[in-house]
Amino acid sequence: MADLAAVGYGLLVVALVVISYTLGAVAWLPDDPARMDMARLNAAPGPGHPLGTDFLGRDILSRLIVGIQAYFLPGLLAVATSLALGAALGVVAGYRDGRAEALVTYLSNLVDSFPRLVLILLVIAAFKADIYYVMLVVGITGAPAIASLIAAKIQFLRTKSFIEAAHVLGLSTGVIVAKHILWYNCAPLLIIQATLGMAEAILVETSLSYLGFGVQEPTPSWGNMVQAGANYFFQGKFWPSTAPALAILGTILGFHLLGDGLNNILENKSAS
Amino acid sequence: MVHSGHGAKVTTKLAAFRRVGVMVVRELALTALLLLGVSLVVFVILHLSPGDPFSVLLEGQAPGQAARASVREALGVPTTWYGRYLAWLGHMAHGNLGTSIRTGVPVAGEIVRAGPNTLYLTLGSLLVTLLLAVPIALYSAARRTGALARALTLAVYLISAVPVFWLGYVVIYLFIHRLGLFPLLSATEPQRHSWLYVLLPIIVLGVANGTVSEVTRHLREELGRVMTEDYIRTARAKGAPVWRHAFKEGFLLPMTEMIAAKMPFVLGGAVIVEQVFNWPGLGRMALQAAQDRDFPVIMGIAMVAAAFVRLASLLRGVIYAGVNPRTATE
Repeated sequence: MADLAAVGYGLLVVALVVISYTLGAVAWLPDDPARMDMARLNAAPGPGHPLGTDFLGRDILSRLIVGIQAYFLPGLLAVATSLALGAALGVVAGYRDGRAEALVTYLSNLVDSFPRLVLILLVIAAFKADIYYVMLVVGITGAPAIASLIAAKIQFLRTKSFIEAAHVLGLSTGVIVAKHILWYNCAPLLIIQATLGMAEAILVETSLSYLGFGVQEPTPSWGNMVQAGANYFFQGKFWPSTAPALAILGTILGFHLLGDGLNNILENKSAS
Repeated sequence: MVHSGHGAKVTTKLAAFRRVGVMVVRELALTALLLLGVSLVVFVILHLSPGDPFSVLLEGQAPGQAARASVREALGVPTTWYGRYLAWLGHMAHGNLGTSIRTGVPVAGEIVRAGPNTLYLTLGSLLVTLLLAVPIALYSAARRTGALARALTLAVYLISAVPVFWLGYVVIYLFIHRLGLFPLLSATEPQRHSWLYVLLPIIVLGVANGTVSEVTRHLREELGRVMTEDYIRTARAKGAPVWRHAFKEGFLLPMTEMIAAKMPFVLGGAVIVEQVFNWPGLGRMALQAAQDRDFPVIMGIAMVAAAFVRLASLLRGVIYAGVNPRTATE
């Protein structure tokens, strides 16, 4: 019951993010995110501005919607990278145990040795502060964890009679892996990992744009909106910083609850 | 009879001791291998970056390939990438991490100066995270289905999604601007409540490093699993203290596991918290270095951070070996 509620909230967040992303992409917004309403700076939510205005009198709701552009596609890239790389590594490790498995464990330990933000700062220093480079790092560093989950799943499935039957029937290993293992049996796992990966990507993007390495003013991102409101926050005008912070909180909470709720429902159903 | 029994006990103890030794040696070897991998990753990222320090040095002089090679030779820089990697590795082995491009100061000294600040912040925050997670985990392991256990689980999820920089603002506003507990910037009068200045970032990072929910869940699940084991049932049946039997596997091991596994997350969060609180540690150094593209500094910090994470893992390996020597034979 609690898991269903968690999944329900998570799906609501995902739907809101996708709809808002589309609205932002076609510029169908409640207000122009760059228009300055000098009569109302740092206004609280009210008529005209449902979520108030920022320090230049710009509509916060519109800026929050546009801010999704900063992480949506880059986040999908990160998720796709870690799923593709993780599945490939996991299949190799699961089907050829021994050395390949040891290699995946080593890679996973290697990747886990770096605080992710430090590794990202290293890449930013070496190349440039491009969000797609950063998300490639997020994707690659997320892969080994997925690989070890897939490998464990395959080692469990390999002993099952339906996989043996498929081998005896003469199906090629490629078909068995792609269809009978990944598609039929690892899809829930991959969906769960994609959900958690997206939460990670959003966290990284908002943190970086907060630190000034992401989208720059006047283009809004949730991170630089929190940062821009900082000085006014300390003067007691909490709202311009708090609105994007709550957006980050609610969204990351949604993806976490969705991932963990699905995990409890789909993956542990045999256990309970 | 008594004598031979005593002898057998000593032999098994010796064997267990040897197994622990073997496991520790294996962990040490793995740590060395991983640190080598870490250094290779750091070097390869730098190697792939467009423009090397020499292009900067020879900027505007339109150097040909030959001029560039002769400068390299004059400075004693190996021409092949692996030659340069080995030279860098050799310098590092002697504690030389190069000099900062921006300030010209040796990186190793700067890291030694700022490192302890980050160490306090990180270890203190881990302690705060555990102080938060352990009671909740113990409570919900005991009453899994109660209303309060549910509410606590939700609260832990909420806490883990709070952006750490925003929580920093809230705390700074409350304690500094509102309560005026100590002056933010004051060179003239001595800092009052300076202990608070140290404590606030630690608490903020400990609460909002995003790991509280996972730590709580892991502790709860492991303790729950151990409590259903046969040996706990036996202990309970014969009236022995259950807690003492469950402690090692149900509490000590999951705690060590979480401390080692979450170390990189806390270190990453430290980068942000140090920025918010103006905390003079490695995180702010790394941020500055990334802005200035100051390679030697960011490389040095990445190496030190990774070494620190590996050290935590090494400690976990040793504790695992000590608690349960059987794993050494697996």
